[in-house]
Amino acid sequence: MPNSRQNSESFEIMISNFEDIILARQKVKFLMGEMCFSLLAQTRIVTAVSELARNMVTHAGQGKMTLFQVDGKRKTRGLKCIFEDKGPGIQNIDEAMQEGFSTANSLGLGLGGAKKLCNEFKIESVPGKGTSISIIEWL
Amino acid sequence: MKALNKEVSLLLSKHREKIFELWNKQLILRARSLVEAVGIDETKQMTLDILGHFINVMPDQDDQANDSYQKVLKILAAMSRKMTLQNITPSETAIFVFSMKNSIFPVLQDEFDEKKLADAIMAVNQLIDLLGINTFETYLESREEIINEQQQAFKEVSVPVVKVWDRIIMIPLIGMLDSERTQMMMEILLEALENSQSKVAILDISGIPVVDTLVARHLITAASAAQLMGAECIITGVRARIAQTLVQLGVDLGGVVTRTTMADGLQLALELTDQQMH
Ligand SMILES: Nc1ncnc2c1ncn2[C@@H]1O[C@H](COP(=O)(O)OP(=O)(O)O)[C@@H](O)[C@H]1O
Ligand SMILES: [Mg+2]
Repeated sequence: MPNSRQNSESFEIMISNFEDIILARQKVKFLMGEMCFSLLAQTRIVTAVSELARNMVTHAGQGKMTLFQVDGKRKTRGLKCIFEDKGPGIQNIDEAMQEGFSTANSLGLGLGGAKKLCNEFKIESVPGKGTSISIIEWL
Repeated sequence: MKALNKEVSLLLSKHREKIFELWNKQLILRARSLVEAVGIDETKQMTLDILGHFINVMPDQDDQANDSYQKVLKILAAMSRKMTLQNITPSETAIFVFSMKNSIFPVLQDEFDEKKLADAIMAVNQLIDLLGINTFETYLESREEIINEQQQAFKEVSVPVVKVWDRIIMIPLIGMLDSERTQMMMEILLEALENSQSKVAILDISGIPVVDTLVARHLITAASAAQLMGAECIITGVRARIAQTLVQLGVDLGGVVTRTTMADGLQLALELTDQQMH
């Protein structure tokens, strides 16, 4: 990830059920609107957020989403969303990222799809400890 | 204590008329909208009935199985439920019961010496408080019932089916397609297909804010269920940015036909059923 620095305030949302996922999406959409992201970018990122937030609920039970604005190179600004959970972690990240791989008998497109939907995507996971995924969308 | 209670009861009976008038005056002053909701004549009848039973309960104040006691509770419960339905505030409902004190105490004050008065007031107080608490509980209970009913009703209307044309039905989907709502949508869809003998079902997703892989999965399932019943499914309201996002996600809606607008969807549905708009 290129040097990015946190600026202004950050928001934390605890996510443990479907209502929380709705709140998380609404918050992201609101922030993106304020930052003047295009409607298409908003749709892509909110969809990615929906996937990652739901993964925390279904695969890890619960987790936390943190949102903040970041400054990039050349005066660009971006929105960064971090999803952290203390769930079971992912044994094989490459496999989990593959289209159609799911341990929950669902579509298995969320993880790989989320990566395709945003500008930057970073995933770290320690089996037995938890998972942390951060995404950035630049203006 | 028993003797005193009996004495109080006799006194209340003797001054029933006066207490009745005082109580009703209080109600008109302090619980006007309640009186209006119940009706002036009905309020009078109700206070009269309650007073009558109250006088009977007094000698046996602690006996909750007492017939009159049960009757007062019943009247109060019915009143309380009515108040909930008519959106009368809980405080007015409480005032209804507690203002009974203000109408009884003056009578006691006139008739009893100081020593007796304290005990008599305590006895009356206890009984009215008990009635008040009971009334309040019914109020809360019926409030909860109403909220439950409303939620149930909301769930039912949240997946409406519109018969747009001969053999064509449309279901506008709204909000988050969680498992519960999807389940309901499926049941309603299949039932509507069966009952209306429709051949095409249009699922309009304009009202779904985020179409992610879960929503996509539910839509695919609904479409294949419809196909099993010999019907075609058209998904409308798929705006360009949603279509693009779905492609990037890697979602393959497979055999499901999609259209951007309802109008396009309806046009296609008419073609599929060999019909024309006149
Ligand atoms: N936060 C998480 N914690 C643990 N496992 C996860 C997490 N997110 C994803 N996974 C694993 O990665 C797999 C693929 O995820 P995804 O592509 O979203 O598909 P799906 O959620 O449909 O199973 C999941 O089935 C699960 O095994
Ligand atoms: Mg997923």
